[in-house]
Amino acid sequence: MKFTFHRKRIAGLLTVVPAREKCFLEEMHNFNFPESRSLKLKEVMGFDKRRVVEPGVCVSDLAVFGLHHLFDKGLLKPDEIDALILVTQSPDYFMPPTSNVIQGRLNLKQDMICLDISQGCAGFVIGLMQAFMLLEQESVKKVVLINADVLSRKTSPKDRNIRPLIGDAAAITLVERDTEDSIIHARLKMDGRRANTLIVPAGGMRMPATPETAMLEDVGDNNLRAKDHFYMDGTEVFNFVQVEVPPLIDELLADAGRSAADMDYFLCHQPNRFMLQKLADKMKVPHDRMPNNLVERFGNTSGATIPMVITCNLAERLEREKLYVCLAGFGVGLTWSAMLLQLNKVHFNHIIEYK
Amino acid sequence: MNKPEFYQRLAEILDAEEVKPENVLKDFEGWDSLAVLSVLAMADAKYGVSIKAEEIRAINTAEELANLIASKQK
Repeated sequence: MKFTFHRKRIAGLLTVVPAREKCFLEEMHNFNFPESRSLKLKEVMGFDKRRVVEPGVCVSDLAVFGLHHLFDKGLLKPDEIDALILVTQSPDYFMPPTSNVIQGRLNLKQDMICLDISQGCAGFVIGLMQAFMLLEQESVKKVVLINADVLSRKTSPKDRNIRPLIGDAAAITLVERDTEDSIIHARLKMDGRRANTLIVPAGGMRMPATPETAMLEDVGDNNLRAKDHFYMDGTEVFNFVQVEVPPLIDELLADAGRSAADMDYFLCHQPNRFMLQKLADKMKVPHDRMPNNLVERFGNTSGATIPMVITCNLAERLEREKLYVCLAGFGVGLTWSAMLLQLNKVHFNHIIEYK
Repeated sequence: MNKPEFYQRLAEILDAEEVKPENVLKDFEGWDSLAVLSVLAMADAKYGVSIKAEEIRAINTAEELANLIASKQK
C-alpha cells in the first residue's frame, strides 16, 4: 500500500533503556552449544551487550519515566499532548489499553486520544503514519508516539535463537505539523499467512497460560522453549527480509522520484548485524549508509530500534543539518514498512537510563 | 556451479577442515542456526538463488544441498 503525508515532522526523540546490562560472553554458557560456535555467532550477529528490565518492570514504567524526564527538562508540557499512541507487543494488561494507563499515571488531560497499536519491529513507521493522520485534525497539535517492549521477559533462558538478541526499551517520539511543505512517502505490506513466523503461542485466548504452557520443552535444535515464550523462525525471517524489503524500498523510491543514492541514510529495524549487512549488499547500499550498530550495544529492541539508531548515530549531525532518510521496519505480522522523510530541527535526541 | 568451490565455502561456514559430497550436514558440530542462515546468504549472494527454510530442513547431505542450489540457478 502506498501513502503520502504533507507538512508533518519528527520534533524530538527520547529513548529509555533499562540500566541492567547483559553480556553475551557471560550468557553463552547457558546455551546448549559449543563455545566456539557461540563465539562465531557473536562475531557474525554482533551480539555483545543488551539491556533488559528487572523482573516485573512493564512498558508503562519505561514510558512514564521517559515522559517525566521530558516534563522535568522542559522539553514537553503535559497539557500539550493531544494524542498518545503506544505501539507494543507486550502491554501491561489485556485490558485496559496501556496508553490509558500511561495517561492516568501522568495525570494527563481528558481531552485527548490514547491508542494502543499491536505491532512490533515494523511499528515505528506504522506509529508515525497513525500520528500523521491524527495531526490532520485541527484539535491535534502534538502527538506522542511510544514504541516500547519488554520482550526479554518472554524469552526462554535456554533458547539461543532468541534470548541473546532481545533487548528492552521505550522510544518516545514527538510528532508535530511542519511549517515547511514537506512531503513524506510511505509503503506498507502485510502477510498474515505467515503470522506464525514470530509468535508467543500461549497466554492469549487461543491458548491460555497454564502450568503446562510454562514448561520448557526440547524443540529439537538444542534449544529449550515453553509455549509461553517468544518463538521466532530465524531462517524464515531472514528469507522474508531479503526477499520482501528491497522491492518495497525500490517502489517507495520510485514513488518519490528518488534513487538510493539520494538518501543520506537507510535507517532500518535492527534484528542483528548479519541481516543488515546482507540487506545492504542486496540493495547495493554501502554499509556505512545503513547503520547496523544497535544490537551490539542494546540488543534488538523491537519497534524502538529505528528511533534508537537515529539517536545513536545521527544526534550530533541533526543538530546542525537536514538529512533525507529512508526508514524501514520488518517483523511480526508479518509486516514490512518503509518511509522517506526529512529529519530536521529535532529538538531533543538522546537516551536515558531507567533505574 | 563449481562444486569444489561450493564445498570449500560450506566448510568455511561449518568451521570444518573439509566437506565431502556424501557428508551428512547434521553430523557437523557447526551445523546450527547460524550455519543455516549463512548457507541462505551464500546461496543468495554467490549463486543468486533464494532457498526456503523448509527446503533446507529436508536436505540431508552436502551434495543434496549443492544440487538444490544448482537446480534453482536456471
